[in-house]
Amino acid sequence: MILRRLVRFSLLVLFCVASLPLFTVPAAACVGKTLVVGALDTPQQQVLAQMLSILISERTGTTVKIVPMESHAAAHEALQRADLDMYVEYTGVGQVELLKQPPIADPATLYQAVKERYNQDLNLVWLQPFGFAEPRNAPEGTVAEAAPVVRKDTLKKFPALARLINKLGGVIDLATMGKLETESQASSSRDVARRFLKDNRLI
Amino acid sequence: MKIAGKPEKIFVGVLLLALFWAAGCTPALVPLTLDDTVIADTRVWSGEVRVRGLVTVKKGGQLTIEPGTKVVFAPFDDDGDGIGDGELLVEGSIIARGTAERPILFTSGAVKPQPADWKFVYVDFARQAEFDHAIFEYAFSGLQIHFCKARVTNSEFRHNIDGLRFSTVNLYAAGNRLHHNVHGVRYEERRSEALLHHNDIRDNQVGLFVVTRGEDRARFVHNNITANRQYDVKLGWQQPGPVTLAENWWGTIATDEIVHRFFDQRRDASLGLVTAPQPLAGPVDPADWQNFPGVVP
Repeated sequence: MILRRLVRFSLLVLFCVASLPLFTVPAAACVGKTLVVGALDTPQQQVLAQMLSILISERTGTTVKIVPMESHAAAHEALQRADLDMYVEYTGVGQVELLKQPPIADPATLYQAVKERYNQDLNLVWLQPFGFAEPRNAPEGTVAEAAPVVRKDTLKKFPALARLINKLGGVIDLATMGKLETESQASSSRDVARRFLKDNRLI
Repeated sequence: MKIAGKPEKIFVGVLLLALFWAAGCTPALVPLTLDDTVIADTRVWSGEVRVRGLVTVKKGGQLTIEPGTKVVFAPFDDDGDGIGDGELLVEGSIIARGTAERPILFTSGAVKPQPADWKFVYVDFARQAEFDHAIFEYAFSGLQIHFCKARVTNSEFRHNIDGLRFSTVNLYAAGNRLHHNVHGVRYEERRSEALLHHNDIRDNQVGLFVVTRGEDRARFVHNNITANRQYDVKLGWQQPGPVTLAENWWGTIATDEIVHRFFDQRRDASLGLVTAPQPLAGPVDPADWQNFPGVVP
């Protein structure tokens, strides 16, 4: 009799145990603060992306991930899709190749033109240019000043970001950029970027 | 009643095993494997626990982890953010008391483990949180504590991005060793009442990372904060207020050498100033933490 009860009870327990997974609910939680920076496969883009990544992660604690981009158009589309939070673009490329607008020769006028158009039409923000114009790929009739382009909603989520990234504004002239690119042939772009930030007391 | 027959013995064995399992205990030699799991009752973990997902201890739940338990998080990254997704989230109660001989281990299941293979043990609005003789390794954050009271003693944090991380807590942490992390201790003070003493914080990239909004209330005294590769103390981008770290061992008593290891107002005018008054003349022994006058028994 007692043994029969034991058997019944053990079956009940086993049934309950087997049912436990039915009552578990997958819950969502995430770190939620990973920023994604796009970078084309050039030494210049790699160094600048690393510079953004290290500056942001080391000054704010935010995790930053760099993802490769095949072209300016691909990076631009990824930014609009929110697959990226930011990448480094060039004013002339933005104006002519991406916005399909006529070239503008004056650097300041060009910068204002792309900045306004990106802001109004695309909800993307051009931050301060790094301080050099890239002569090798500027579309005809324009210049190609390099600057970070960031999604507006990313800046809303990270209010301190624009002020921090703008610390890089105007600090890299063409000669310095060339030197950093050369250095990145011998050591990793991350090491080159870190050394530059450290030498300039930015990290 | 006398149970003599073989079938009866098998039934009793099955029954005991089922009861044991239902109570949340795992026989030492049988690993418990969990994916996304909610604990809303009382559970006891022992032996090896393999986690591939998010384990949540809900408000009414209580998880006790016994000495010698090994909690192994499978390395997987479904959201592609570069940080493993394995996690233990505690909103109820967690008691993880190991011993010196049989510590509790939270680790990665990767063949070649790396920092951030798994996410964290995340204690958030918990009713009770105690960790003693626990080891946290290869996580994004070994242990994160927010909005609750917690006690962390005799534990080790190694090879994580952030070793111990907290904000808005009542935290007592003593006798811990934090080494080979990116940040040994990272905190956003936000009105925290924190006392950290007799902790050994060395060989990290940054010893203490004071991220933001600190009002100089967290007390770090009688710790070793030394030999961190980049800085012993770094202030985050939004930490304009001062940070005072009195009576710690910095590897030297020469003020110039000590402050040279700080990233603060001396390097960026927008940041607060870190000071280290009355530096100790020699290292503290973390094992001596219970002799400290301010000890919380």
